[in-house]
Amino acid sequence: MPDWVDPPLEVTNVIKDYPGNVRALDQVSFRIAPGERACLLGPNGAGKTTLIRLLTGALSPSHGQVRLFGLSVESDAFLQARRRVGIVPQLPGMYRDFTVSDYLHLVRDLYGRGDIAEVVEVFGLGPYTRRPMAELSGGTQRRLSLAAALLGSPDVLLLDEPTVGLDPVSMRDVHAFLRRVMAGRTVLLCTHNLTEAEALCESAIILRQGRVVLHERISALRQRAPALLALRAAQGPERLLAALSELGTDGRREEDEVLIPAPEPTTQAPELLRRLLAVGVDVYECRIVTPSLEQLFLDIVGAPHGRA
Amino acid sequence: MAAREVRILFRKELRQLLRNRGAMLTALFLPLLMILIMPMAQISSMSSGKLHDLHLPEGLQLPPGLAELRNDPRAMLWFILTPLVATGCLMCPAVTASYTFISEREARTLELLVALPVRVGHILTAKLLAILALAVPVCLALLSVDAVLLLSRGLGPLSYVLTLGVMLLTALACSTSTALLVSLLARDFRSASNLNGLILGPLILGSFGLMAVLPGPTLAAGVLAALYAIAAGVTTLMALRVVTFERLLR
Repeated sequence: MPDWVDPPLEVTNVIKDYPGNVRALDQVSFRIAPGERACLLGPNGAGKTTLIRLLTGALSPSHGQVRLFGLSVESDAFLQARRRVGIVPQLPGMYRDFTVSDYLHLVRDLYGRGDIAEVVEVFGLGPYTRRPMAELSGGTQRRLSLAAALLGSPDVLLLDEPTVGLDPVSMRDVHAFLRRVMAGRTVLLCTHNLTEAEALCESAIILRQGRVVLHERISALRQRAPALLALRAAQGPERLLAALSELGTDGRREEDEVLIPAPEPTTQAPELLRRLLAVGVDVYECRIVTPSLEQLFLDIVGAPHGRA
Repeated sequence: MAAREVRILFRKELRQLLRNRGAMLTALFLPLLMILIMPMAQISSMSSGKLHDLHLPEGLQLPPGLAELRNDPRAMLWFILTPLVATGCLMCPAVTASYTFISEREARTLELLVALPVRVGHILTAKLLAILALAVPVCLALLSVDAVLLLSRGLGPLSYVLTLGVMLLTALACSTSTALLVSLLARDFRSASNLNGLILGPLILGSFGLMAVLPGPTLAAGVLAALYAIAAGVTTLMALRVVTFERLLR
């Protein structure tokens, strides 16, 4: 019997080689704790989709272990663990000869449980149950994928770019559904959309060239990068930079504003403003800029050897 | 006993195959032509009048498979009927499989299936079983018509008809395993058709060749049955070991 105290998702020293000496993953290790909502980030070709496919059991690792609830992919009982995981694949094709209802029945039969009427209502699929899957709009297809993933009331959700290719309205709808269904579940969200990752997840795993370069809480990640003060002056950014230099403070220009590192902005900002006004620089705007996940991500994947 | 997942996926595959006009036409037309219409034409020509000995030129060297033609004109029927049945059975599942495997791969619907709690092996097994479930009854039913006519009109011994039945089953197994290999190797319908031709063409020509080399229709059909069974095993092993299912997802 599986041991349910094991982490829901665990990847240990995984190497995945494809034919032609293509190494998609190189010694990847991480574990997702129960209830953790993690995002899997990385540039194109970093190995994110390969990792998701390994976790689903669709691919086997060349080396190392992939475990769901302590059960390895090779284990006979692996499917028991798989039935506790709902997966939203990345841009899947849709059957022309299968209706929404046919598909949901197939999913329910394979999970061995689930209330079709409930997910149809929750995801607003009522008007589409007799429609062929391929005839649904992109947003409705994504809602169907989410409904299928949640039909078996899974403890874990694997979401592979669930909003890619959607228009802003559909994306907002899917985000609303995700916020609702992610609560209380262990989630691994693979995405390119860093705003989405920041809004929905509490920790981040960053992959680069098949390696995990970071697995950390987003809040802790933010603490590592100091906040910035963004200043605008009536005399323009060049005069502002010169005045800052005279005051012994380094800054960098970004369009018509100047950014200054400020680990403690609430105490640093008033003093700096007083001194700038005193030397005749008319600062008309000062705001605190917290580095976005996007900036942190770019810092990490842009670095020659990554960080962490 | 198949896994629960295979049974559920098998029902899905069968339902989709039955709804697919292209697959159904292929599954029915080729066997209908090869196993029923062409053999029926031959059988009816053999039974339309009294069988006459063939007057073959003196000194004509016949291959062992046709040597009996000097004494028994039915040898020509057996010489053609056996590979015709084999051809129908070899082509039917292979072509039907292109619809179920390649269309799923091209439409990226395989991604939907692997997101469900199943193994890739379950998906492939269910597809192959669905193809067989469609092909075996159709081919067996058509052959049974031939069998009744052959036996009732004294055009073939019982041993030959029974061996023909066994050959039909092994040819279907061979074709199904070939379909698995082709589906793993092919990128699209076009390359699947090319690969099918590349694999099945020599197999079909070889079957005619063997009929010419082996004396007696029962022995020839038996040898063909054994060869198809071996080919089925080798092709399945190649597909599972060498090519692997991962190609379907790449």
